[in-house]
Amino acid sequence: MSAWFSDLTLLGCFLCMVLPIASFGLIMIFTRNNHKLSLAISLLCSTIPLMIAWSLLYRYWDIAEPIVYNYDWILSDFIKIPFGFLLDPTSLLMLTIVATISWLVQIYSIGYMEGDPGFGNYYAFLSLFALSMLGVSISSGLLQLYICWELVGVSSYLLIGFWYEKFSASEAGKKAFVVTRFGDVGFFMGLAILTIFYGNLEIANINSAAVAQSMPPWLISTGALLIFCGVMGKSAQFPLHVWLPDAMEGPTPVSALLHSATMVAAGVFLIARIYPFFSASPEAMAVALALGTITLLLSSTIGMVATDIKQVWAYSTVSQLGFMIMGLAAGSYFAGYFHLTTHAGFKALLFLCSGVFIHHFGTNDFFVMAAKGGRKLIIPMVTITIAALALSGIFPFSGFFSKEAILGALYHHPNKIWFLMGLFGAFLTAYYTFRVIFVMLFPKNSAPEEKHGHDEPHEEHHGVPWVMSIPLLILATFTIILGFCQGYLERFLLGHTLHHEHNYLLLVSAVIAALSGIGLAWLDWGSKKAKCVGFISYVPALENFFKEKWYMDHFWRWFLNAFIYGTFSRLFTYNDRRVVDGGVDTVAFSTIGSGRLLSFLQTALLQLNLLFMVVVVAGVGLYLLMGR
Amino acid sequence: MINNVETYLYIALFLFAIGLYGVLARRSLIAVLISVELMLNAAMINFMAFNRFLAPHPAVGQIYALFIMAVAAAEAAIGLSIIVAIYRKMKSINVEHATELRG
Repeated sequence: MSAWFSDLTLLGCFLCMVLPIASFGLIMIFTRNNHKLSLAISLLCSTIPLMIAWSLLYRYWDIAEPIVYNYDWILSDFIKIPFGFLLDPTSLLMLTIVATISWLVQIYSIGYMEGDPGFGNYYAFLSLFALSMLGVSISSGLLQLYICWELVGVSSYLLIGFWYEKFSASEAGKKAFVVTRFGDVGFFMGLAILTIFYGNLEIANINSAAVAQSMPPWLISTGALLIFCGVMGKSAQFPLHVWLPDAMEGPTPVSALLHSATMVAAGVFLIARIYPFFSASPEAMAVALALGTITLLLSSTIGMVATDIKQVWAYSTVSQLGFMIMGLAAGSYFAGYFHLTTHAGFKALLFLCSGVFIHHFGTNDFFVMAAKGGRKLIIPMVTITIAALALSGIFPFSGFFSKEAILGALYHHPNKIWFLMGLFGAFLTAYYTFRVIFVMLFPKNSAPEEKHGHDEPHEEHHGVPWVMSIPLLILATFTIILGFCQGYLERFLLGHTLHHEHNYLLLVSAVIAALSGIGLAWLDWGSKKAKCVGFISYVPALENFFKEKWYMDHFWRWFLNAFIYGTFSRLFTYNDRRVVDGGVDTVAFSTIGSGRLLSFLQTALLQLNLLFMVVVVAGVGLYLLMGR
Repeated sequence: MINNVETYLYIALFLFAIGLYGVLARRSLIAVLISVELMLNAAMINFMAFNRFLAPHPAVGQIYALFIMAVAAAEAAIGLSIIVAIYRKMKSINVEHATELRG
């Protein structure tokens, strides 16, 4: 026991796991109805992990060997399933990202969720989420990671359906849970394959070269592809991306925390976590690259036609996740992970800014926000523009550096088609991002006098409360400086700096893609003579296709009806009715018949009978023990 | 913290006693079911403790523990469905109201 206190690192990891779960339990059991106290508990239990995370990052900045605390949970013949903590650059960085964003979101939510009757519950769920996400980052074994991964799914379900009186919200929660579950089944089967054929679920061990020696390549590929199914579910990759846009039904801070910065990044993190294992299978990498590319293009095109501001950012999240997976799958561990880091900053910022607008104007439609004078809110407007510049990949904001790193990785891939796709994706990203920004900045048909004429329900909000604007400013600072930390992060994550040959073709093409996207958005939505219709509307068939979200929802509905309900469900029902029920009925009728014969023995004093039984058995036992 | 077999046996005994009391004294079927689970867990702790301190082979007690978990899960599923059926019939889950079979 003393080791827990003498080793500060271990104590820190332990506290990171214990405090959030303690906060969840305390709030749910005792203080749910006391909003102030719940808030204090939850904030305390997220501030300490935040400090722990940063101090660990600082202390182990020059870490050479990963630090592992392992406790064997199951040891059998050759199966070894450990629980514990693994601290290496990958997990330390994720730990810091998660702790920071979740702390900022908790601060921001003080303003956003003020007066909500479920305030206490909300903070309890946020604590549960913090626990599971911190657990995902520092788990030392894949089974432990899987458990936390499922907990992430649960807390996401709870938070999406937080306003459960709203039918669409509870439906969206259910959809998110079921779809991610669908992928997690694959993940679990992958773990089973690893356990059966390799036997050791310790992450450090899986990443070593021993796996490739003891498993045939086709098994590694199968395992990696199955685990990738889990990634597809959680990180919303095609074709399992359908849950993420619906998940925007939750409160906006939740969208910022879970569905853009941390939870959906868990899938990408998982690939980074067992990257050597993944890269041992070229097939899995190829599939990941293809799916990432499809996801990138699909969601950017849908983002071009959405009118709900959160939908736009949701599709943009999906596309950026696809971009990260492209980077990882193209062979650059650093590029994908670096984009995860910067994306966590600027996408959380985008959502939190949108949250301010939604809170202020009571609508999700950014055309309405623009007409009501959205640009008068100075701080959110400036920060949302910074975040949008970062998302489009404009120098000197963080997105520029990470996107360039990924494009560089794609450029070095032998097949140049991925690079062109990536460029096209960057162009589309810049276009749909600045569509929102220009519409909000330069409203066309705003009627300022009308604004004062009506009795606005939100007129009492004067400006933005500081608890909401401080997180915006902090995140904006991150967005600006994070890009310049690329070299340091590279040395931290890889142990050495990459050799940068300055490829001007790459640089210029990336910048041109982003700038032309912004320029096109300016022509379509920004300039004085703009017609305020997207260029895509010249091809009505295509526009309709995008508006219907590539018919993916229809596809899944059809799939469910045809295969799940129509085939499996019907067969199982038939089996249940005829075989199982029929058999049980026969047994039951014969039991009833024989029961009637013996019913005179029943006194209906069940617990008295039990008591006699216990006393007699205890008496006999004592007699046998003592009597000899 | 005394790390020997008796500590675990006392914990198990305590759990078992709570469970036994619950089974005998509570009138709600749900509470009875929960108490049965407690008793199963007490048995499981015994297995693990004996395995840890007395058995030479490392896996036997663990396997029993896993086995009991499976049994407990099955028991919970069947028990709950019985309770639901009783509730549908009697509109109550009080043990004392289940007197239909009295001879």
